Amino acid sequence: MNYFGILVGIATLLIIGLGFPLVIRGERTFGYLCWPYMMGLGILIILASLFIQNNWLCVIVAVIGATFVWGSTELKEQAVRAELGWFPFNADKVKVPFTEIIKKWKAPHL
Amino acid sequence: MEINALGLTAALAAFLSIWFGHVAVRKIEFASPTIWIPTIIFAALGLAAEYWSLITDNLSLSTALGILGITLLFDAFEFTRQQKRIIKGHAPANPNNPRHARILAEPNSHATTIDLLKREPRETQTGIQAHK
Repeated sequence: MNYFGILVGIATLLIIGLGFPLVIRGERTFGYLCWPYMMGLGILIILASLFIQNNWLCVIVAVIGATFVWGSTELKEQAVRAELGWFPFNADKVKVPFTEIIKKWKAPHL
Repeated sequence: MEINALGLTAALAAFLSIWFGHVAVRKIEFASPTIWIPTIIFAALGLAAEYWSLITDNLSLSTALGILGITLLFDAFEFTRQQKRIIKGHAPANPNNPRHARILAEPNSHATTIDLLKREPRETQTGIQAHK
């Protein structure tokens, strides 16, 4: 019996659960235009996991990275939820660098 | 230094299975007259993936199946959560689905056939009225 996979699956569920406050807080603080930063950070974390030799640590780090990448695709919808009044709306968001350029890109939504 | 691709396998398994579940739960719940049948199918697939993950000696396969299985089990539970979103009007109801038609016909129903989230953000508080 190989319990590694099932334990990793449960750990993934718990880590992805942290994605909810990440998306909610991230959108409220920085707005959905922070998506390239969240996605880039996620990709960097996954790349960093390639250099970790311990399997457990490697997998946990990579799944944290995947949570950031997935979260970046949820920010746009979260922004609309806040505008609709389903979540608190923050009118005074911190503007991320290159906001005007990012605005011209299509925000990912899966 | 050796490269350890197990994390990358886990990240891809997590991202792809969440994406699949995210889309599948919405589409199936929209069309299906019952939610218990898809719930049972997803739970059975999830348990099968976990069983396969337990019996394989391949660490990468065990990791990917372990993540896929837990995701499918969570998706089984998501059918109930998605139906709650329909009842609240946070996801669009399908008037051609008898289960949704009943929800829409309830007195003081908050359900709507409009997909309120399907638009670009306007960076200002609009409320729901702007759509109706």
